[in-house]
Amino acid sequence: MKRNRIYTFIIGMVLLVVVTMVACERQLDKTNPSYPTLDTYFQNADELLKGTNAIYSIFHAAQLVAREWFFVHDLRSDDMAAGGGQLELPRRQMLEGNTTPDNTVMNDMWKGLYTVIHRANTVIYFSSRVTDNTTLRDRCVAEAKFFRGWAYFELVSLWGPVPLYLEPVTTAGQFQSRVAEDVLYAQAIKDLTEAAAALPPTYPTADRGRATRGAAYAMLGRVHMQNGDYAAAKTALEEVKKLGYSLTANYEDNFREETEFNDESVFETVFFETAPNQFNWGYTGDDPSQPQGTARNQEYSPIAWRNLIPSNKYLEEFEKTSQGFPKTDPRYKMSVYETGDTYNNGASVLTDADQNGNSSTVHGVTKKVSWRKYSLIYKHGKGGDRAGGGINHRIIRYAEVLLMLAECENELNNPGAAINYLNEVRDRPGVEMPHYPLTQFPVNSKAEITRAIMHEKRVELGGEEIRNRDILRWRKKGYFTTEPISYFRPNRDALLPISQQEIDNNPELAAGGIGKQNNGY
Amino acid sequence: MKKELVNQLIYGFMRIGLLPLLLVIGFAGIMYAHPLNGQEVLNRKINLVADQKEIRLVLSEIGKLADIKFVYSAQRIPARQKVSVTAQNRRLGDILDVIFQPLNILYYVSGNQIVLTRKGDTFSMSFLLKDVPPVPDVTMELAPKPISGKVLNEAGEPLAGVSILVRGTSRGTSTNEKGEFSINAETGETLEFSMVGYKVHLVKVGDNNAIEVQLVAETLNMNEVIIVGYGTQRRSSLTGAIASVNNKTITALPVPSVEQALQGRVAGLTVTNNGEPGMSPIVRIRGVSSINFASDPLYVIDGFPTSNLMHFDSRDIESVEVLKDASAAAIYGSRATNGVILITTKKGKRGGRLQVNLDSYVGTQKAWNTIDLLNTQQYLQYERALNGSAGINPPPRLEPANFNMPIYDGASVTYANNNTDWQDAYFKSGLLTQTNLSVGGGNDISRFYSSAGYFKQDGIAQGVYYERGNFRINSEHKISKLFSFGENLFVSYSKNRYDNTGGSNRTRLVNVIRQVPYIPVYDPTTEGGFRDAENSVDGADPTNPVMDALLLGNAHRKTLKLLGTAYAEVAFTPALKFRSTFGVDHVHLFQHDFKPIYNSKGRSESQAKIDDVRTTMTTVLFTEQLSFDKTFGDHHLAVTAVYEQQGTRAYGEQMVGFQSSNNFETMFGATNVSAFSTSSENLLISYVGRVNYEFAGKYLLSAAIRRDGLSVWAPGNKFANFPSASVGWRIDQESFMSNSQKISELKIRAGWGETGLNGIGIFGKLPNSQLANDYPWQAVVSQNGAIYPFNNTMPSGGNASFYNAISNPNLEWEKTRQLNIGLDLGLLNNRITLSADYYRRKTDNLMLNVPTPGSFGLNNGGVLANVGAMENNGLDIQLAYNKRAGEFQWDLTGLVSFINNKVISLNTPNATIDQGGDQDFGGGAHMTRTTAGQPIQSFYGYIVDGIFQTQDEVDNSPFQSDQTAPGDLKFRDISGPDGKPDGQITPDDRAFLGNYLPDFSYSLNFNATYKNFDASVFFQGVQGNDIFNATRIISEGMARLFGSSTEVLKAWTPTNTNTDVPRAFAGDPNTNVRPSTRWIEKGSYLRLKNITIGYTIPEASLQSLTGGAVKTFRVYVGSQNLFTITDYKGWDPEIGSKNTTLTNGIDYGQYPAARSFLVGLQVGF
Repeated sequence: MKRNRIYTFIIGMVLLVVVTMVACERQLDKTNPSYPTLDTYFQNADELLKGTNAIYSIFHAAQLVAREWFFVHDLRSDDMAAGGGQLELPRRQMLEGNTTPDNTVMNDMWKGLYTVIHRANTVIYFSSRVTDNTTLRDRCVAEAKFFRGWAYFELVSLWGPVPLYLEPVTTAGQFQSRVAEDVLYAQAIKDLTEAAAALPPTYPTADRGRATRGAAYAMLGRVHMQNGDYAAAKTALEEVKKLGYSLTANYEDNFREETEFNDESVFETVFFETAPNQFNWGYTGDDPSQPQGTARNQEYSPIAWRNLIPSNKYLEEFEKTSQGFPKTDPRYKMSVYETGDTYNNGASVLTDADQNGNSSTVHGVTKKVSWRKYSLIYKHGKGGDRAGGGINHRIIRYAEVLLMLAECENELNNPGAAINYLNEVRDRPGVEMPHYPLTQFPVNSKAEITRAIMHEKRVELGGEEIRNRDILRWRKKGYFTTEPISYFRPNRDALLPISQQEIDNNPELAAGGIGKQNNGY
Repeated sequence: MKKELVNQLIYGFMRIGLLPLLLVIGFAGIMYAHPLNGQEVLNRKINLVADQKEIRLVLSEIGKLADIKFVYSAQRIPARQKVSVTAQNRRLGDILDVIFQPLNILYYVSGNQIVLTRKGDTFSMSFLLKDVPPVPDVTMELAPKPISGKVLNEAGEPLAGVSILVRGTSRGTSTNEKGEFSINAETGETLEFSMVGYKVHLVKVGDNNAIEVQLVAETLNMNEVIIVGYGTQRRSSLTGAIASVNNKTITALPVPSVEQALQGRVAGLTVTNNGEPGMSPIVRIRGVSSINFASDPLYVIDGFPTSNLMHFDSRDIESVEVLKDASAAAIYGSRATNGVILITTKKGKRGGRLQVNLDSYVGTQKAWNTIDLLNTQQYLQYERALNGSAGINPPPRLEPANFNMPIYDGASVTYANNNTDWQDAYFKSGLLTQTNLSVGGGNDISRFYSSAGYFKQDGIAQGVYYERGNFRINSEHKISKLFSFGENLFVSYSKNRYDNTGGSNRTRLVNVIRQVPYIPVYDPTTEGGFRDAENSVDGADPTNPVMDALLLGNAHRKTLKLLGTAYAEVAFTPALKFRSTFGVDHVHLFQHDFKPIYNSKGRSESQAKIDDVRTTMTTVLFTEQLSFDKTFGDHHLAVTAVYEQQGTRAYGEQMVGFQSSNNFETMFGATNVSAFSTSSENLLISYVGRVNYEFAGKYLLSAAIRRDGLSVWAPGNKFANFPSASVGWRIDQESFMSNSQKISELKIRAGWGETGLNGIGIFGKLPNSQLANDYPWQAVVSQNGAIYPFNNTMPSGGNASFYNAISNPNLEWEKTRQLNIGLDLGLLNNRITLSADYYRRKTDNLMLNVPTPGSFGLNNGGVLANVGAMENNGLDIQLAYNKRAGEFQWDLTGLVSFINNKVISLNTPNATIDQGGDQDFGGGAHMTRTTAGQPIQSFYGYIVDGIFQTQDEVDNSPFQSDQTAPGDLKFRDISGPDGKPDGQITPDDRAFLGNYLPDFSYSLNFNATYKNFDASVFFQGVQGNDIFNATRIISEGMARLFGSSTEVLKAWTPTNTNTDVPRAFAGDPNTNVRPSTRWIEKGSYLRLKNITIGYTIPEASLQSLTGGAVKTFRVYVGSQNLFTITDYKGWDPEIGSKNTTLTNGIDYGQYPAARSFLVGLQVGF
């Protein structure tokens, strides 16, 4: 009796256990309930649009325009000098020509640019799945190509041969090797050409900030020019001219918050100050809860770190009556702050004690000079370094298009057209500088016009991340009588070193026949 | 009466609010008592009615009632004589007296047995271990050869009552009072001498007819029962490397967690302090087995694998078993690679009465060490040296016009005469207190243990503390002969005000160093009341660490943990049992971080930020276990089969919002609110089988296999098998050892097993999640994981989606194979014991986050893949001496562990994993490198060959940089692109500089009692490790102008050349701060971890003082970390890790271990 009960119990338990076991092993198959995967996402135009927006968002990460992008360009130009002892080590290395392959500033920008490429590739690749809104889909693809073209242009102009990725990486082992500069230029040109053809000239207000046809043509012009193809550059840039851009009435409007998306702005990065003095230090620019501003103010503003200040050479480039010029260039005062200037809507006066760090020497006079372009103190008082400021960063403005056209026309031996473009820039209301020729800048030959272009571009676009690439291009052509970069060593410093992280982790880097590292590193 | 008292206590607890329902389950009533020691056994009361029944049947009945065994010789005891007894609730002793006195039978209690002898007997028969004694046929057959002899103890004194049995026969006898015996045996037969408390001794009969035998006492712990996974084993039968730590040791130190209590207690187990109160220390068993993941052991509390030990009250612990080697741990299969720590909580004693204990202490603690920082005058001197040399003007504040201003409007002190000691402002003394009240008791049917505890530890620095309250109720009930039932329930609530800069490179201690001495801590004119330096005026921007701790560090974690198990057991036969266990582990975390509006001049916030995190995790465990345990003659067989499943469901959310006033700390009316939540689930299904076989108590064999299936891996990889096997040989049980006087125990063990790394909870959070990733092989799309404000308009929530991970469906467990060879030796009746284990652990399949090149565009994302292998070889030794007699009793235990770690391979032959780089700490270059052939995360950097004294020396040395000048560090040129010195200092010149792993770690524990006094002294130390003192990069690196240590005043100048501190030069153009031998220090230390002196009031005095209300009363005073012997220059040489992997032993400014003094009380009622 008792024994039977026990056996029944045992059999019951065994059955229960077996049934449970069988049922449970199936439960081992689980998928993440909170996140979509590549198999389930990027299926419709809305998702593709969000993929496209993610390219823009990396664009304003600290790796790129919010911080390291402007540092990399500025540290390699002669517009800038160290503001004092607080300039961090990797930045100082770049400024002084000691960049090592593990330089974090450079490497962050490298990663940021390739993240742009990866996200652009994602949009381009998965667009084939999207059928619900082909108009939007095609626009997304065009925007993605604009960014991919831009990113490869940045890469090739700074690092020379780099790996070329045209499809998104989905499995480990999809390593790509370095390809020659002309291949990269060709790719950038192809992407930007296709983007220009498909992008709209303007967007509805809610979409202001997206890449336009004008942005693509202007960028294409830059690429052709840097690649030495001035005729193609001219063609592209003339397309921009057709799109209705004009110079702003006030030069300073190009660097202020209230005058964003103005008629001069061809393409700008959108920043937004969610909370004062807060910046997204996460570097990737991801995470919607993070601040969406730029670090520019805490780096350059007179009342902040002053990590980089305008170089004496730049300050002395401006035309001043004291130096025998017919007119003092008003752009000087609109580009930099000096002790004694007012700020905070005229309510405060800048003192030496406000400005930490080094003084400048301008034509023999020692004083503290800081960047005014993109500095928020024009409307703010002391207090806080305004990291995370919301001024949109103008990547391309129409004045640069005109000056590029001037260079193209000069190179294509149309001096008249070149001079006209230069003078068009000088005609801006509020600037209204006397036309070339000047006594100091005659324009009787191609060489003289080149000098005028070099001068005009520097005073118009100083501190706007243009100069370093101009140096590269003009150095190649032998336009400099004295090398602008004091540490410059030929066969080395024209290019940055390839990131050590890339060398360590990309076994195929040199598989295409180009060595892993650039010359001299 | 007693029952009433129990009920009163129950209701008392209920009124306190301790889950009444579970109490009802927990207490079923107390009716019977159970013997544990002699008096307890005999004092128990039973009911018995026997009318003319044979004595053997009466004894059998009593045996069943009392769960004890009677041992007697049926020849000498008239087992079949009939007696009559009627007893209603009478003492067992009285009943036995009634039965045995008339028969001239004496009895005594031995363990769980009552041994019967006859008055005046000189002979008795062999042991019969059945409660129903089969009356053996003991006719004295033809005696081939009379043998006589004498049995002595170790001291040479005669032993009476020793049983002598001729093996394989029923012939036997026992010794008389003089220890003499005589028996008949043939040549070649074996005599077995046995006596309780002594080791069995075997003698082969030879030509000699006279035999003298000396029995060796068996140490008590040989029969100690050790908890092993899914069961128990006698210590003597163990074949694996298992260390057991008892309650007394666990509670010896005033520490909040079990982990800290285990520091220095188990050879091969290392515990390293890792921060402020509420932070779990780093626990490693036999080194680091994983590169990418924390190598934490698996904790199993009363059979429930769990975590969050910080919230567990160590005073509830009965014992802790540390399963060190794979053969012991492999029963936990895929989770056992890092060893297993089994925790068994108290169950209450079957004494028939309640035991009430109060255990309480209170103390104070403080940082034991300070470093010398610059005062205001020295700071001015340093600033000129640093900036002046580079031609940089002083920051505006230091200009006399500013410097002689009051530190704030209305202050009488100026910057020039203000001198803030930031260490003094930041460090403070803190309260440390713990109280635990427990009630336990039980009888033959039920037993229980319940407790309530409170713990509080203030920080030794501003703004942090940890506080915990907890309850426990454990109970066990025998429902019938067939069924029993038990349950454990633990509830704890904790509140932790934590350091919310954790994980950041600018810890509060870094800011203590960096803060400038002329700035005051407090400023009543600012919003919030604190003061900071201003970067534009002071040229430096350290955060005020006191403000950071008190005002900005307003961050709390509140955790509610519920851990409960219930089981039902069916004993089909005494040998075959089935147990079904159900358990729940529920952890609810609420984290609240409030950053107010403030303005310290240097820093400010115009909106108050609220950051709330909530996670709930519910783990459910089912274990179905069938076990068989039986002895057949010389064979003992134990078989265990288990089916188990453990699954966790978790939900996590975070909300961030802003308020325009400091008055509101909730999301009500908050602006810019962002929120997310995710859920996650995992499941582990296991099949376990184990066989233990023992022959003649000498040869031990154990084998187990566990098959685990885990939801975390991709389909096809979910299941894996984890086998293990071990053997043991108790040499002391061999006949050739039986005459050894000195060796009381000798066993050798060998085991091998394969274990895995737990795949649950180790994978980092996905973006916008508060939960560990349970789906690591699946690459996910970060839907709306970023934002872009087109048209300067912030959408609510993200508007950008991307992916930056690559899936790897081949991902599976890391697997470790471990070989262990061990020796247990006891000398002089185990007064001296030695346990030594040698092991080799090799981990294959190491899961590495194989870094992707930047060109993949995954933004630092890597791919998890099973690549790489690592080996740990080591030796654990434990040596102890016990003096357990006389008025002065003492014991001394020494532990030492040697370990040797080597990475065998990584994803590619030359792959390196570099970690620890940080902008603030040496310019961003990494500090550790992990590569094949080297110990894991070896420190990596340049070798310093002194300081350049002249320009000539600079010019004639390998090129470092254009700006290198006299006073800069001279780095050694050891290599170049071609592997040869190339006359340039480049990254190729970096070398391995040392390792955080000690050559050995050791501890020495001394306990003594003299009369009513007791003392314990506990030393702990490590030897031969290196520390990367990154804090010194901050305090004397001189990379940027900040507060520093006085070391910077020793900087090289043309007139001060005899120094090892390089020149002060703004911007550090030669990068003297780079990771180099300059920052590597010896990390060895010896620390008096604990010293305690206690006094117990004698029982008699206590009796007269309290009238019996108080049974025991002990007071003690103690101190922790009273002194530390070390050459380390930082705050404390016990350095944890910044993020648990590959940055161990780098001191980024870690919260130091405290020195404490306390007084405590232990009272028993």
